[in-house]
Amino acid sequence: MNEKAPKIMMEVKNINLRFGGVVAIQGVSFDIHEGEIRAIIGPNGAGKSSMLNVINGFYHPQEGEIWFDGQKRPSMEPYEVAKTGIARTFQNIALFKGMTTIENVMTGRQLQMNKNIFWQMLRYGPAIEEEVQHRKRCEEIIDFLEINHIRKTPVGSLPYGLQKRVELARALAMEPNLLLLDEPMAGMNVEEKQDMSRFIVEVNEEFGTTIALIEHDMAVVMDLADRVVVLDYGKLLADGTPKEVQSNQAVIDAYLGVPH
Amino acid sequence: MFYKETGQFKSRYKDELAAFPLFEDKIGIGILGVLTFLVIPLFGLPGLNYEFAMGAIMIPCMIFIIMTLGLNILLGFAGQISLGTGAFSGVGAYAFYKFITIFPDINIIIALVLSGLVSAVVGVIFGLPSLKIKGFYLIVATLAAQFFLTWAFIRVAWLYNYNASGAIEGPNKEMFGIIMIGPQSAGMTRYYFVLVTLIVLTWLASNVIRGRIGRSWMMIRDMDIAAELIGIRPLVAKLSAFAFSSFYIGIAGALMVFFWLGAAEAESFDINHSFLYLFMVIIGGLGSITGSYMGAIFVWVVPVLIKEVGKSVFGFDAFVMENFSTILLGAMIIIILILEPHGLARLWQITKQKLRLWPFPY
Ligand SMILES: Nc1ncnc2c1ncn2[C@@H]1O[C@H](COP(=O)(O)OP(=O)(O)OP(=O)(O)O)[C@@H](O)[C@H]1O
Ligand SMILES: [Mg+2]
Repeated sequence: MNEKAPKIMMEVKNINLRFGGVVAIQGVSFDIHEGEIRAIIGPNGAGKSSMLNVINGFYHPQEGEIWFDGQKRPSMEPYEVAKTGIARTFQNIALFKGMTTIENVMTGRQLQMNKNIFWQMLRYGPAIEEEVQHRKRCEEIIDFLEINHIRKTPVGSLPYGLQKRVELARALAMEPNLLLLDEPMAGMNVEEKQDMSRFIVEVNEEFGTTIALIEHDMAVVMDLADRVVVLDYGKLLADGTPKEVQSNQAVIDAYLGVPH
Repeated sequence: MFYKETGQFKSRYKDELAAFPLFEDKIGIGILGVLTFLVIPLFGLPGLNYEFAMGAIMIPCMIFIIMTLGLNILLGFAGQISLGTGAFSGVGAYAFYKFITIFPDINIIIALVLSGLVSAVVGVIFGLPSLKIKGFYLIVATLAAQFFLTWAFIRVAWLYNYNASGAIEGPNKEMFGIIMIGPQSAGMTRYYFVLVTLIVLTWLASNVIRGRIGRSWMMIRDMDIAAELIGIRPLVAKLSAFAFSSFYIGIAGALMVFFWLGAAEAESFDINHSFLYLFMVIIGGLGSITGSYMGAIFVWVVPVLIKEVGKSVFGFDAFVMENFSTILLGAMIIIILILEPHGLARLWQITKQKLRLWPFPY
């Protein structure tokens, strides 16, 4: 980790999110430093996924502020948040099932493509140049994640672990500044988990991408994360380095003590 | 091993992104070109009366393919269901009629494009509910469009220039000195015009589908929430699909009346036609251009042939054959959908896959 004072990339302040009578998040505040891997942990239903949904504009909290790049962010729709350089993957895979791997990855480039309908109709000149240029970038990402062999396979027919990887590829294709990963290793075997951990570290180190990661496997979290936020029943339980969190009595009582 | 993908490596992405990357496909397209441009216009279809082959099979088939392409863009690629296709085709037809009667000197191609654009605008207006509702509720909304528009085609006499008959009819009209439409136009002229239109529109559609805009439609179709989180605006994606689709359907409607039927009333655009086009898309295969061709040809040609054979070979009454062919078509649709829910396009794909291995089936 670097020694300089860390720059705060994102900060959520006093977030309150309710669904009717259900309180999903209650007065939670934390920040994400530029360049770090930030883990969000907590038992089932703690509000972790809801927190990511708040960050990328899918849920709008009743109270609270979101600060991004030093500015208070107005209420935004998901497609607007995407434009600010935030990408994510989903707990329940959300790939485009009718499309192939390469097509799915290409969707990550949509925002960076802009040739109008007339060029698109001709698929000539600027339109095809744009398509080729972005296709090259996507092929690099596909190489990086070692999914070349399934490039032309419809994603619906892929095994679970590979689908998770394609989803990561799609998010990386957006070249985000902040990457939100919702349980990227859920349901994977040990080997697949190792691969995925390696990719996450490489993305963080080589591209300098800031990552917020939800994960249940404590070994993975302790290994990957620079800092950890612990949520429980929608409340912030602890916030600190993996070591600090691990030795926090409240966390041990609420979460770590219970075998999963 | 007639048909293989392996062994034809594409070293440049540009080559791979071409419309027909395979050599075998290029040959197939070449053969189709010779057939449709030379052989069929000269000799017609084997075993059929020439006029019948051109007027009852070739021209309507090509027009219905454009119609099916249009609906498939909306339903198969963008996942938005519509039962208003018949009415949207009517918008194109009435718009074309108004353009050529208000501006008698207008170029036919320009009138056709403008009619498509009018239909696109109407499509967008009636597509607005899709931003809020999905599935069954959207069907009901498009159904309302269907009934409202057919009502307007009857009640707004301005649309058919206050004709006593209530019908729109193609006047003789030239382009480059050749009579293109109207009672004096030659079947051959109209055939070539429709053929070229079909080729151009197919090419444009396949380009759009493989590019940025086509992907945005498929994203909305497959998972609208994820699409939005990647930066797709549902408003833009859905309404552009309604616009593009209605553009095609409007052009097909204008072609149907002025390059095939010669005259039409509101009932040529009724709900039964909407269902007919829906059958064509589903039988052919959702989200497939080849499927649009197959579906339109199958659903149109099979009943026509059954009727013809029944009349001329077995001497059955036309009315009896009409019902019989409807029943038979219905049965075939059900059988195809049970055998292959993804339509004729998928059956064709499977056949190609088998050909790839032939004659070594391992
Ligand atoms: N769209 C919604 N409508 C109603 N309630 C919701 C909605 N989304 C989340 N909740 C509720 O908010 C609470 C937190 O859910 P969330 O999915 O954020 O938990 P989580 O920490 O991600 O749990 P898990 O580990 O099971 O994924 C739960 O009680 C859940 O039922
Ligand atoms: Mg969750």
